[in-house]
Amino acid sequence: MSSTPSTQTGAATTDAAPREVKLVDADIHPAPLPSYIAARLDEPWRSRFERYGVRVPNPPQIYPRVRNAGYRVDSWPEGGFPGSDFELMRAQLLEEHGVDYGILIPLHGHSYGMESAEFAAALCHAVNEWVREEMLDRDERLRSSINIALETPELAVAEIERYADDPRFVQVLLPTGAEAPLGSRRYWPIYEAAAHAGLPLIAHTGGLEQYRGAGWPSYYLEAHVFYANAMVALATSFIAEGVFQRFPALQVVLVEAGISWAGPLMWSMDAAWSAMRDDVAHLDRKPSEIFRDHFWFTTQPIEEPDDPAQLVAALEFTGMTHRIMFASDYPHWDFDSPAMVLPRAVPKDLRAKIMAGNACRLYGFGS
Amino acid sequence: MTDLRGAIDCDVHCAPASMAALVPYMDDYWRDYVENAGMYLSPTLTGTYPEAVSPPPPADVDALREQVLDPWGLRAAVLTCVSAFDTSRNPYYETALCKAINDWLRAEWLERDERLRASMVVPTLDPDAAIAEIERVGGHPGFVAVLLPVRSDARWGGRRFHPLHEAIAGHDLVLALHAWGRIGTAPTTSGSTHTYFEDYLANSQSIAQGQVMSLVAEGVFERVPSLRVALLECGFSWVPPMLWRFDKDWKAVWREVPWLKAKPSEYVQRHFHATTAPAQLPADRDQAAQLAEMLGAGEFLLFASDHPHRHGDGNLETLLEVLGDTGRDAVMHGNAAALYGLAA
Repeated sequence: MSSTPSTQTGAATTDAAPREVKLVDADIHPAPLPSYIAARLDEPWRSRFERYGVRVPNPPQIYPRVRNAGYRVDSWPEGGFPGSDFELMRAQLLEEHGVDYGILIPLHGHSYGMESAEFAAALCHAVNEWVREEMLDRDERLRSSINIALETPELAVAEIERYADDPRFVQVLLPTGAEAPLGSRRYWPIYEAAAHAGLPLIAHTGGLEQYRGAGWPSYYLEAHVFYANAMVALATSFIAEGVFQRFPALQVVLVEAGISWAGPLMWSMDAAWSAMRDDVAHLDRKPSEIFRDHFWFTTQPIEEPDDPAQLVAALEFTGMTHRIMFASDYPHWDFDSPAMVLPRAVPKDLRAKIMAGNACRLYGFGS
Repeated sequence: MTDLRGAIDCDVHCAPASMAALVPYMDDYWRDYVENAGMYLSPTLTGTYPEAVSPPPPADVDALREQVLDPWGLRAAVLTCVSAFDTSRNPYYETALCKAINDWLRAEWLERDERLRASMVVPTLDPDAAIAEIERVGGHPGFVAVLLPVRSDARWGGRRFHPLHEAIAGHDLVLALHAWGRIGTAPTTSGSTHTYFEDYLANSQSIAQGQVMSLVAEGVFERVPSLRVALLECGFSWVPPMLWRFDKDWKAVWREVPWLKAKPSEYVQRHFHATTAPAQLPADRDQAAQLAEMLGAGEFLLFASDHPHRHGDGNLETLLEVLGDTGRDAVMHGNAAALYGLAA
């Protein structure tokens, strides 16, 4: 099975010459302050933003993060917010750990993208512009993820097209919580635009999470453990709706939801498919095969069984160790240092793939 | 097929053929209500068990004997009746329906075959009424568990349900959490699914897991140390990765749940079992052995056929092989005998 998506050579064109890539961080969270957003909004959106704000709550409002408001203690810049200051991020992450490429995932789109159509598009564009001006233009190691007005696909498509020629925007951001399951056809114009531009989608935990099914968790502890389960719903929806039959080159990175659940998910999908194949008759092969050809993972927060050998076994269960990428989740409280993230039980060659090689293949770094 | 002689089957479905079977167990008010409102029992539980994956469950004990008990040579079977999952929002109707189902189970099943046990059913919308129902029929020796659906308005670990858990444990009953539940509620955080495949997978791959997280995180097992939980039709291969996340997160944010005195995985190990259907397992023998070790499968699992539901090729036989004779015996009957107080 070829795992290299031929249409997705990504963003390496800013490099003058190939260089050895040892570390790629696939999940860094920059955070523009509201004043930075307001400064990039035209009227009437600027006044609306300042007078009414936005409606989707920030996740810690519902599930407080218990300590340090959920951020690394040392990540608060003077007068700013963790992730709002380029120099601090550069020093604490890129320089400290020797990151060759860092992929920014601004999460504001998770709430901004749910606002009314043009307002949502203006907010998301303001985020993308701030990232371009204040991060990407200041360091050639950085890449970013396009924020989109998710619930208004035609405006989302326009935003993707706007950045399609800027090789530093390497993917399109989705939340795990939205107004409909993420595989639904209403979102397909977005997926078509991403596939057309040769950009992967990246699904990051969060968004408009309304805990139906079992009901709402009471604590951050439960909500955080459930990140994986919301991601499972997203992945299952993409497969069941036939997204990959329609867009065969599309790749989807699943960020901040762990990895080890994927083996059991694939076993369960294959067992179910053998019993109810005609319910999803558009699937032309086993769900696990589709899953393995289209999804990628990032490490943070990787599972930590008492016996690290069980983690290696669980990663092998997925059959997707060539699709796992290191992520630090800077500047969140559960930041993973690249030196510490993988237990010694992880073999050397797998470690090298996870720390850089897999990301280089997906994004075309170092080639 | 697995040799079932002497096995204890921990999840065998039965269901009244129609509302008419329950009406004799209702009082005048509810008979009149049921008749005039046109209340009926959906044979598929409104899409929960479509014909494609399930013939109708046995509606009387003779059918069960013929389909399951006699040909398989079971030592015992624990009945599951989920007919009350598909019900209206009227909490008094839900209570009346549950009472009728329990009286029907008692009179027409438990007292007609000594191999049978059952989960009693309780209303989900009114914890006080659920407790009253446990006090009314929970002492019957045939009822060994209290059935709750995984799809609910609120997660079952919540503070408001702690007296219910006390009543369950106080009657020496098992909390049986079963797949599916209230109809009309979307299974995912992003709403309703468009395929049965997705809806079906949501039970094992997210909803049941949310309930386990809730029961542990809310401190139910510190409040009610003797409570035992059986996960029915919820799958089980997802358990190790979920617990790895749970333990890791607890080590970091334990301050939020100061009532927990041990790692989440220890509570699950001490208080939970899961039934073997649906099996969602690797075909590879080495992987099955690795998974069995991660799970502690020989202690954790309870055999169940989940008759008459079909779940596809789940590779249970491979797992049973790697468990060896001791582990296999425990799964096929030993664990269930200990849990439900039956002769091993």
